[in-house]
Amino acid sequence: MSPAIVALSIVGLVVGGTIAFALYSVRRIPMDPHQYIVAGRSFGAFFLWLLLAGEVYTAFTFLGAAGWAYSYGAAAFYILAYGTIGYIIGYFLLPGISDIGHARGLLTSGDYFADRFGSRALGVMVGALQFFFLIPYVTLQLTGLQILLTIAGYNAYDARVGVAIGFLLMALFVFSAGLRGTAWASVVKDGLVLAAVIFAGVAIPLKFFGSYGAMFDQVQRAHPTWLSLVATPTNHSVIWFVTTVALTAIGFFAGPQNMAAILSARDGNVLRKNAIWMPVYQVVLLLVFFAGFAALLIVPGMKPGAADQSFVLVVQRYYPAWVVGFIAAAGSLAALVPASGLLLGGASNLVKNVLGDGLGVATGDRARTLATRVAVLSLAVLALGLWLVYSKTLVDLLLFYYNGITQLMPGLIFGLVWRRVPARAIGAGIAGGLLTVLTIFYEHADPTPWGINIGLLALAINAIIVVTVTLVWPRRAVEAPGDTRRQA
Amino acid sequence: MSRSARVLRVVLACVVPAMLTIGIPFANRVEPRIFGLPFLLAWIILGMILAPVSLSLIYRLEGRSSR
Repeated sequence: MSPAIVALSIVGLVVGGTIAFALYSVRRIPMDPHQYIVAGRSFGAFFLWLLLAGEVYTAFTFLGAAGWAYSYGAAAFYILAYGTIGYIIGYFLLPGISDIGHARGLLTSGDYFADRFGSRALGVMVGALQFFFLIPYVTLQLTGLQILLTIAGYNAYDARVGVAIGFLLMALFVFSAGLRGTAWASVVKDGLVLAAVIFAGVAIPLKFFGSYGAMFDQVQRAHPTWLSLVATPTNHSVIWFVTTVALTAIGFFAGPQNMAAILSARDGNVLRKNAIWMPVYQVVLLLVFFAGFAALLIVPGMKPGAADQSFVLVVQRYYPAWVVGFIAAAGSLAALVPASGLLLGGASNLVKNVLGDGLGVATGDRARTLATRVAVLSLAVLALGLWLVYSKTLVDLLLFYYNGITQLMPGLIFGLVWRRVPARAIGAGIAGGLLTVLTIFYEHADPTPWGINIGLLALAINAIIVVTVTLVWPRRAVEAPGDTRRQA
Repeated sequence: MSRSARVLRVVLACVVPAMLTIGIPFANRVEPRIFGLPFLLAWIILGMILAPVSLSLIYRLEGRSSR
């Protein structure tokens, strides 16, 4: 048997087996919108941990983190830093959001905005934006999947067919299993990814260099600017690092898929415990960096972008086909499982807030579940189409996702702590932030002066607009009912 | 929650974010190496380790008063 067939069959068996396992686990659950979208708000600490880990650590982290360590060195460490700060912010922010979600029966982030600021129009706007921003994030996962399938096929096949099949299979899976299915699939995914990453980050460096110290000695000799932040025209400055950490940490929980996970928690304490222990999972990323630095020395000379496949390529060159198969299978699940959560988050915002509240379509429970399922499939097809057409500009799209989604944060935070903020202030702030991002994006002014992150600049403008509008033209009647703010 | 507990809670919450943002310019160096790792990386790992520690201390502080 050729190595490509061995490796690809392992990928197929693992992905198929995971889907079957997850479907079997949810077979008795009757699906209404609350079950389907937020799993009946029943998740305890363990399931929530799996779900959040499943959504935060995606194939793009898996491959992209190694690729960044390979191409840019220390700049890649920002990924470790922002996740850690993101959890600390989450510890204080998420329990309050979850309590309000329970008390008011919220399903999506659009619901949260509509409820907090008493404006259905704002809910429609947020729902539509969430849907829109998710598409590039989903397409990113597809690129990760393509890299893995190409390598598992030993570059002998066109991986695009495999990507399309795998992704549509996953969309059908979410269609039937909802958020519970995603959580169960995460059980298998996390176990496999952990094993794969320990192999890549421990076994590979030790086999080739003997110790991490020796590996970093060699990196230092070959690439003197790689192990600290050295601002060169082509590299990333300290200011870039700090502002990017700030932006991405603030935006860490802003995506619709995060909202679904937050609302699926049984109570606020479950979220607090999660925030305490999630940073431990960051060790996975650390190991991925080690793999990236090892690859830099073992297979040197790859361009940024191509370097995303660097450590998988090391595995393909120096290890037997079954190892390649398992690594690629773990990575494929790391693309598909988060993608399933993303599809569900985007689709539920579209159906609940834009179609339901905005246009008055599909408002009954049965109709809404059905419409969400149809939207999951449509979003999948849309993302697949975008991926086939625009696969070259994905890094731009990722930046766009983070820069855009973070503009929702003032609303998420003010919704908890400042009841005088009117919907118009939040809406104007989001519009101002997005216009800033778009202007800089299309003027190609990136990198900005001193390498300040664009999204952070936009977020500052956004927050200033919200505060100014609120002070000049505050909300009049602040109704008390439903205000379940916790005494912190 | 007493006043001192409240101050302690804010301090605990800010240590790691400060280390990993405004602390970065000061930690941005390769030497001294810590267990073979570049200093900047070791510094960020220290932040990763301190995050669960400070959050669980905050959790206890809160537990004594409100939960």
